Amino acid sequence: MGGFVSRGFKGRRRAGPEQATRLPPGQYAEPGFPVLTAGPTPRIDLAEWRLRVEGLVASPREWTWEEVQALPRSTFEGDIHCVTRWSKLGTSFTGVSVDTLLDAAEPLPQASHVVAFCYGGYTTNLPLEDVRGGKAWVVWEHEGQPLPPEHGGPARLLVPHLYFWKSAKWLNGLRLLDHDAPGFWEGLGYHNRGDPWREERYWGD
Amino acid sequence: MDETDLRLDGNAVAGMLAEMSGFDLTVAWGACAGCGTSNQLGAALVYAHGMGVVACCPSCGQHLLRVARGEGRWWLDLRGLAWLQLDEQARIAR
Amino acid sequence: MGRLSWRLATVTDVRPETGRVVTLALEVPDWDEHLPGQHVDVRLTAEDGYQAERAYSIASAPDGARVELAVERLEDGEVSPYLAGELRKGDQLELRGPIGGYFVWEPDRGGPLLLVGGGSGVVPLMAMLRRRAAAGSQVPARLLYSARTLEDVIFREELERLEGAGDGLAVTYALTRAQPAGWTGYARRIDAVMLEEVSWRPGERPLAYVCGPTRLVEAVAGHLVALGHDPSRVKTERFGPTGVP
Repeated sequence: MGGFVSRGFKGRRRAGPEQATRLPPGQYAEPGFPVLTAGPTPRIDLAEWRLRVEGLVASPREWTWEEVQALPRSTFEGDIHCVTRWSKLGTSFTGVSVDTLLDAAEPLPQASHVVAFCYGGYTTNLPLEDVRGGKAWVVWEHEGQPLPPEHGGPARLLVPHLYFWKSAKWLNGLRLLDHDAPGFWEGLGYHNRGDPWREERYWGD
Repeated sequence: MDETDLRLDGNAVAGMLAEMSGFDLTVAWGACAGCGTSNQLGAALVYAHGMGVVACCPSCGQHLLRVARGEGRWWLDLRGLAWLQLDEQARIAR
Repeated sequence: MGRLSWRLATVTDVRPETGRVVTLALEVPDWDEHLPGQHVDVRLTAEDGYQAERAYSIASAPDGARVELAVERLEDGEVSPYLAGELRKGDQLELRGPIGGYFVWEPDRGGPLLLVGGGSGVVPLMAMLRRRAAAGSQVPARLLYSARTLEDVIFREELERLEGAGDGLAVTYALTRAQPAGWTGYARRIDAVMLEEVSWRPGERPLAYVCGPTRLVEAVAGHLVALGHDPSRVKTERFGPTGVP
């Protein structure tokens, strides 16, 4: 139907010009925080909740909710980008830096990749380098409020420099590997790394 | 809002599945690879996530199928179906 | 042109039904007559190429190239405020269909027929009742329709007329938020007790169609099965927000 335009339809308002430079290619600015779900929201009892770092590490570690809250707090302020084309500019999340967790677990030299595994079964894979050096967090607060379950609470992974499907909700742990292991969406056509600035949306991009 | 509000059924993705397969899949019978129950896909519980569609068995909740699309390509994961029956009468003309 | 092809329909009439719901009457070239319960996919395109797509149940009985949709304007909606606010007679609307053979009833499928709808979930059920009337069918039918207030009941006058025809249709309302003075009907959400009072006995083997918000649909379907109805004779259609890729 090339060329047809619905008279008077504007759609949700997208980027104003002042935001355009902050947007990766193909994205629009979304003031809200859309909930995207691929399954039932897991309900996790905080007394049962654990955060694990395991696999190719010298000291596999597990933290309870209280223990992880006692770790040094770290806040990310900035933009997040979803592969479905919305970007939320100027938001903030608070939790603990993944560097803190990795320092405790001591990755082995052959560890090159990570799989984030979650309550409810979701997984996503990342190069280890993409979660080190101040680029990733495990967060439990969004804009000063406890992270709601529909957005991944109690805690989610946050890797804001990659498309937001890498910021796995309902995080249970990180497993270090010496090879890449495609996760839930990466096994269904999505890109293994997902850099929004290079528009790495799909496998083969 | 919790995921109950976001949970739909096969009817919600009928057009997309028809575009993909050339059949009205809402009337297609399929058996769950997990529990063995068979249902028409119109009865499947569907999460129409923006990145893809996940259809779950109404009896046991396990994934029946997952579909994603982008840049002129479709990706299908049918591992959750032990079998899927396509009826010629449900074929849809493009 | 097949059912999967997008085609341009022309809006021939825009009629308010309630404060929030509008009937769009469309003329669709080359239309493949639909079955009651089916829907269309509607696609809107903005000037910069941005597109939004939604599914809408067909409200009308099959009638040649004429198709009616009943659209509820959702406050935070992207598409419904356009369809039920901006669109006017003479405009064109891109759609494809009819789609979906699962949630369908025609008179020759028999009954008795149990229709349970919540809010705009009544729309595909209305297509079934309109078809039933147009066919002069005597299949016994009961509609249980849950709405917030009497003012939110879509197609109210027409339902009264259909019921008044005395051909075996009974309509029951459950007004969940507010009721008019002197209201003696149900004044609460649909529950198992209400369903047992309103619906056919399981032994009568009704064909049941339940449509509306997910919560209502799942609760009602669950109650019907618990009351002893055959799950294979209970069909559901959940309405809600989609992010179909």
